[in-house]
Amino acid sequence: MGWMNDLLETYENNVNQVGKFEQKGDKEFTLIPIAHTTQYAQIEVTVDVNGDFLQAKVVDKDNANTVIPCTESSSSRTSAPAPHPLHDKLIYVAGDFEKYVGKLKKSSPHNNYIDQLKKWCDSDYANYKVKAIYQYIQKGTLIRDLISASVLVGDKNNVLITKWSKELEKNLGYKPAIFEVLSETQDKAFVRFDVHQPNTINKKVWKDKKVYDSFISFYKNRLEKEDTCYITGEVTPKTETHLSGLRRSGDKAKLISANDTSGFTFRGRFNKGGEAVSISYDVSQKAHNALKWLILKQGKSIDGRVFLVWGNENTDAPSPQDDALTLLSQLDPNLTVSNSLQVNTHEIFADDVNKAIDGYKRELSYNSNIIIMIFDAATPGRLSIKYYQNLKESEYIKRIQKWHNTCSWLHRYRKSNEGKHIKFCGAPATRDIANAAFGFKSSDKLIKETMERMLPCVIEGRKIPIDIIRSAIYRASNPVSMEKWQWEKTLSITCALLKKHYEKEGYEVALDEKNKSRDYLFGRLLAVADVLERRALSKEEGRPTSALRYMNAFARHPARTWKTIQTNLQPYQAKLGNKGIYYNRLIDEIASNISLEDFNNRALGGVYLLGFYSQRHELYNGKNDV
Amino acid sequence: MRNQVEFEVYGKYALFTDPATKVGGEKLSYQVPTYQALKGIMESIYWKPTIIWIIDEVRIMNAIKMEAKGVRPIEYKGGNTLASYTYLKDVRYQVRAHFVFNRHRPDLDYDRNEHKHHKIAKRSIKAGGRRDVFLGTRECVAYVEPCKFGESEGFYDGYGDIHLGTMIHGLNYPDETGLDMLETRLWNPIMRDGYISFIKPADCEIVRPIKKLRPKGFSKDNLEPAEELDKELSREGGIRWDG
Repeated sequence: MGWMNDLLETYENNVNQVGKFEQKGDKEFTLIPIAHTTQYAQIEVTVDVNGDFLQAKVVDKDNANTVIPCTESSSSRTSAPAPHPLHDKLIYVAGDFEKYVGKLKKSSPHNNYIDQLKKWCDSDYANYKVKAIYQYIQKGTLIRDLISASVLVGDKNNVLITKWSKELEKNLGYKPAIFEVLSETQDKAFVRFDVHQPNTINKKVWKDKKVYDSFISFYKNRLEKEDTCYITGEVTPKTETHLSGLRRSGDKAKLISANDTSGFTFRGRFNKGGEAVSISYDVSQKAHNALKWLILKQGKSIDGRVFLVWGNENTDAPSPQDDALTLLSQLDPNLTVSNSLQVNTHEIFADDVNKAIDGYKRELSYNSNIIIMIFDAATPGRLSIKYYQNLKESEYIKRIQKWHNTCSWLHRYRKSNEGKHIKFCGAPATRDIANAAFGFKSSDKLIKETMERMLPCVIEGRKIPIDIIRSAIYRASNPVSMEKWQWEKTLSITCALLKKHYEKEGYEVALDEKNKSRDYLFGRLLAVADVLERRALSKEEGRPTSALRYMNAFARHPARTWKTIQTNLQPYQAKLGNKGIYYNRLIDEIASNISLEDFNNRALGGVYLLGFYSQRHELYNGKNDV
Repeated sequence: MRNQVEFEVYGKYALFTDPATKVGGEKLSYQVPTYQALKGIMESIYWKPTIIWIIDEVRIMNAIKMEAKGVRPIEYKGGNTLASYTYLKDVRYQVRAHFVFNRHRPDLDYDRNEHKHHKIAKRSIKAGGRRDVFLGTRECVAYVEPCKFGESEGFYDGYGDIHLGTMIHGLNYPDETGLDMLETRLWNPIMRDGYISFIKPADCEIVRPIKKLRPKGFSKDNLEPAEELDKELSREGGIRWDG
């Protein structure tokens, strides 16, 4: 299905989430009903069912997010007065605005507002709460009431004080709450209304589904121009203004826009945007609101690029960007990762991943799909879909599973909640891959680009781009250029990439003594040299071994550099004495496996890193360790 | 059949623009080609005003993959702009199509020789098409080869149904409908194991009129019969095609 259909379906499947606020970090979000939007309110006015003023208060910032009804013109208003239907800024809702602020240049926004509200109240869909608010608005005493309730502050001449100053604070002795929440002048404050009925449980007006529905029915009824919708195929009221603010509030980029009057993006066969496509109001609202909700709920945003993965039935989905450990804890919270912490073999960990994924799979229904999308804006006004894929969930899970089983290596860079290093055997996160390949200080631009390029490798099984692997190999071969933990991380991630790249050869973390390839053997040699020297050094001496210092040169000219390394090893061999015999024997054994014509200065391929890692792992953890 | 052809068309990229993303300029491809795109490919291979190509079926051979590219669309009024187009990657389609005679062209009645057009079409496919073939948009170069429809392995073999939602089927041009109107056809395709069977343009239930449009006329002024060209060339002592 198309992406708009997917979003539409997600909205319909999650209709019960409409208006329910969830918290993620410091952000509060909800699935917004159609014909509504969210705004931050600073003032809350409560009236009774007869439209008489009860009380008013300043809304604190944590509580300010309000779902408000809006029209096509009000949601995209700029300078021309286009009032929201119910809650809005003082300039629209206050009948006595001019009295307290000053004459307005433009035609009265309040009249537009009240006309619009009247039509709603006179319609068949009106709600008693809205009628109560309308009755109150008609009195035109809002600012007077707000001043008498000490929410707004007026000066001697009964004009709203625009800016709060230190002098005023000295005179008054305190700073009114309104100035704590306002970023602009007092007359720009946003007002939301509530209705209080005694002896009943009152649902806030902006959280009341009945009020939502009242407006939706009223507004839908007023939409006139009908056309064939390209998403549903039905003839329904259409819209030509689509929502912005999808990635975050204040984001001006739109997914669907049409303002080309001189270029030829669609002109040619078509003259106007409306000829090229037509989308119904309902569909546009639902799809965009579902997208907003999903992005806030589970989107990952890097430098404006949003990576989004969700399921059409159960919106939560395992992310293709995460590493094996995160995936595991996400899929099966009961599975204690700590059990597998100190397990070195890939099989056991892989088993855990498989089990968790299998457990997840069992709940799948036939229709469940996973949708993967990436959004970014090349220019401020237009949002582009950089990637779209709709997969059967079972297929998606299969591919994620395959990725974690084939691009895996033993990593130690993650820490548990207690700050202990965790060993895990699996695929690294794409973000970590980007860091390994291009450095830990690389720009967000490069990171997001690399993550995007890695995504098809995970979910389409494409080959990992060779430049990423090359760059990672180059960096992993240069341990002295970074801190130890950075290098260790780079090394194990590079090994994972290499394992994936040489999938057919089937490299494993466990040492393969039968592997007689030149690169692998040279890598093993380097590892023995490294471990030998490390053993000889006292614990306090954390300096890099000669093997590591010469690693870069070794990768480029192995035969020549090996001579240097071996010369440097002699004092340590002497120091170890009998304890070093095992290593010396190992060096001889490995070297004898390299055929004479292979023992030359031809640069080493990436596989040497695998030999290096496996041999080192074997020496530190194997049974042969003396 | 005496009027049916089968061919395979493939290319590195394809862009069958989703109309919702067309108007803003950040184009995103549909997941599969539209009827109209395939018809265009068929017309690039071989077309004459005498005939109308009808696409019967398409088979999606490769997994649907996407790749975004930064592009610099030409700004006709000067200046510079950047857009991001999202293409399908590594596409391969098997297509089955047949032609019918255009009933709205009585003036070309003498050219209605089914056998002739069938042979020419088959030869044109073998040659890789008469004109440049592209997948959706001009920058997506494509290659055409004859094939046996349904043969060889495809990614979606045994995959089951994929509902593609509402999609563009194609456009109704005045010279093929006989109405002075440009119309868009929509339909709800289902891909079964990689196969999409197209309904005929006339059977599309969702048709949206777009604007008034008159057919391009062909007459003696802008059409030259091959016989006359031949005569002229031989009179000038040029190349003799029949010798």
